[in-house]
Amino acid sequence: MSSFISIFMLLLPTVVLGMVPRAAPIFAAALGENIDQSAGTLNLGVEGMMLLGTIIGFVIDFKTGDFVLAFIVAGLASALLALLHGIATISFKVDQVTSGTAIWFIGWGLSGFIYSSLFGKASSPPAVKTIPTLYIPHLTDIPYIGKLLFGQDPVVYALFITFLVAQYFLFHTKAGLNLRTVGEDPLVAEIMGVNPDLYRYFALIFGGFMAGVGGAYITLSLVGSFYFDMTAGMGFIAVALVYFGKWNPLRVLIGSLVFGAVYVLYLALETYFPTTPYQFFSMFPYIATLILIILVGARAHAPAALALPYIKEG
Amino acid sequence: MNIRKPIQIIFFIILALLISSLLLLIDHVSPIAGIAELISGGFLTHYGLVATINDTIPLLIVAVAIIIPFIAKFWNIGGQGQYIFGSIFATWIGLELAGSLPGALLITAAIIFAFIGGALWAMPPTLMKIYFGTNEIITTLMMNFIAVYFLDYMTIGPMEGSIAKITHVPSSAPIPSPDLLPHIGGVSTGIFMALAIAVIIFILLRYTNFGYELKLIGSSIDAARYAGASLRRDLLLSMVLSGGIAGIAGMIQVFGITTVLLPQVFSDITTSFGYVGIPVALVASLNPLITIISAFFFSGVLNGAYAMEISFGIPIDLVITIYGLMMFFAVIGVMINLGRIFRRSGAK
Repeated sequence: MSSFISIFMLLLPTVVLGMVPRAAPIFAAALGENIDQSAGTLNLGVEGMMLLGTIIGFVIDFKTGDFVLAFIVAGLASALLALLHGIATISFKVDQVTSGTAIWFIGWGLSGFIYSSLFGKASSPPAVKTIPTLYIPHLTDIPYIGKLLFGQDPVVYALFITFLVAQYFLFHTKAGLNLRTVGEDPLVAEIMGVNPDLYRYFALIFGGFMAGVGGAYITLSLVGSFYFDMTAGMGFIAVALVYFGKWNPLRVLIGSLVFGAVYVLYLALETYFPTTPYQFFSMFPYIATLILIILVGARAHAPAALALPYIKEG
Repeated sequence: MNIRKPIQIIFFIILALLISSLLLLIDHVSPIAGIAELISGGFLTHYGLVATINDTIPLLIVAVAIIIPFIAKFWNIGGQGQYIFGSIFATWIGLELAGSLPGALLITAAIIFAFIGGALWAMPPTLMKIYFGTNEIITTLMMNFIAVYFLDYMTIGPMEGSIAKITHVPSSAPIPSPDLLPHIGGVSTGIFMALAIAVIIFILLRYTNFGYELKLIGSSIDAARYAGASLRRDLLLSMVLSGGIAGIAGMIQVFGITTVLLPQVFSDITTSFGYVGIPVALVASLNPLITIISAFFFSGVLNGAYAMEISFGIPIDLVITIYGLMMFFAVIGVMINLGRIFRRSGAK
């Protein structure tokens, strides 16, 4: 036990420094999913949207070398998938679980299909340069937290700003209140003069964009190349984090950071315990999700109209 | 039964196939040639048809398995993990008892163990739902990922076969041939078990009180409570059956087709029957008998996609997108009233 604690202390700096980039893709997707669900749309396609983001981001960066463009196009491609989900669930009132699963399959298949079509089954996968870290001068010199807060890549900063805007929007603006009302009771929203469908479409497209950005972050920042199904369930973990975060982006952010830490920890523990089969460490994030979701359990108060189509009377 | 809906669904599935075929342009392959190859490779050639029927077996069983909780709107997305645990349990007992029991008895034991394995793996999400009210979509999915890693560990760890130790291709030892399911003209006799399961579950859902209660829960939980249905018991029973039957699919695949326990890759759709079972069941409107047709069709599309890969170099991953599009359009097809749209546009 004491050796376990000493290893833990040894790993602490690695975990703290590494958790932010590991948390970023999950948080991007989870923030988008949070807005989706606050408006009453359950988007299970987020895994497929992330996967589409991984390949589109990779291809654009590989062809143009412009990572900003790559992130934007990846986000837009996934937003297009989200639009499909919206057409099915908002306009045609299709069951949201069913449509979401279909979207997941579409994105999942497209990611592998596009990659294999463009690059073939190459033995050594093509690679791009991962996006550069943007050190903010002087501030990175602050002991302990300097590197953590000011030594990240530009996308992390952009994500953090998006988080601040989303948090303010959701709880401190009229439009944010409208959006949450649509999620609680679309009929009331309609009586208030709000168009529920419009808000749900907006939320979905934002969610799709964020999922695409999250996916692209995996290829362009964490890895530098593409592998099949490389999100490995991150999209679903993002959905779980929204439940954990009780539809509050701040709590979702905290949950994502915990997950980032779990990812770094299992990668580090693998090297410290080479005799323990690596599969048991690989199970970490999924077991952690199960524990997390038990902790929240039934106490979570979901938006009342979550996953229900809004059908006008008469 | 209303004839309009099935015709509409078929119309929309064909539409989905046509849209998918446009993706072939990325690979500079004519969509018409691609579709022709897909149909002939999946349904018309002798080799393709045998492969299609063999893939129909696990697909049909898993799809029927997930229909049971789906009827109650309990979304068991964990068919893949339950399928994997069924295959692990069945292979383990098959190898343990090999030679000490006659083939028929051993196969029976393997079926029972597969059922237990799959049902056990379905329990954590079910109990979590019952006692903590957790979202089953997320929990069943997480169980899938854990199962994949556990299978990986088993095939290169405790259950690694002696040949695999030399070749370093992970797999268990083979099930001895006298204990395998016999084949008729290349088709595994597992097909009869699959068809029997579909019919039994159809009867169970349509003609028993249990099936009626599940439908009631699916349409309105309050109504089900009012009618005196025991939600917990029904949910538990539906998931024991669902997990167990998905487990049997894993057993039939090992004893009928692969003969060894193999590890799985997340992205490999050709072994992901537990995932593909979801669109198969939904496209069939959760009717176990129609699922026979949709499982056959989905399996044909898979083998047609193989043929496209061989003939034109189309990546097999395309088939996942085709599945997604078929499902997407089929569910829209259920919701749309095509007749009304046509009449309305005609009236203008």
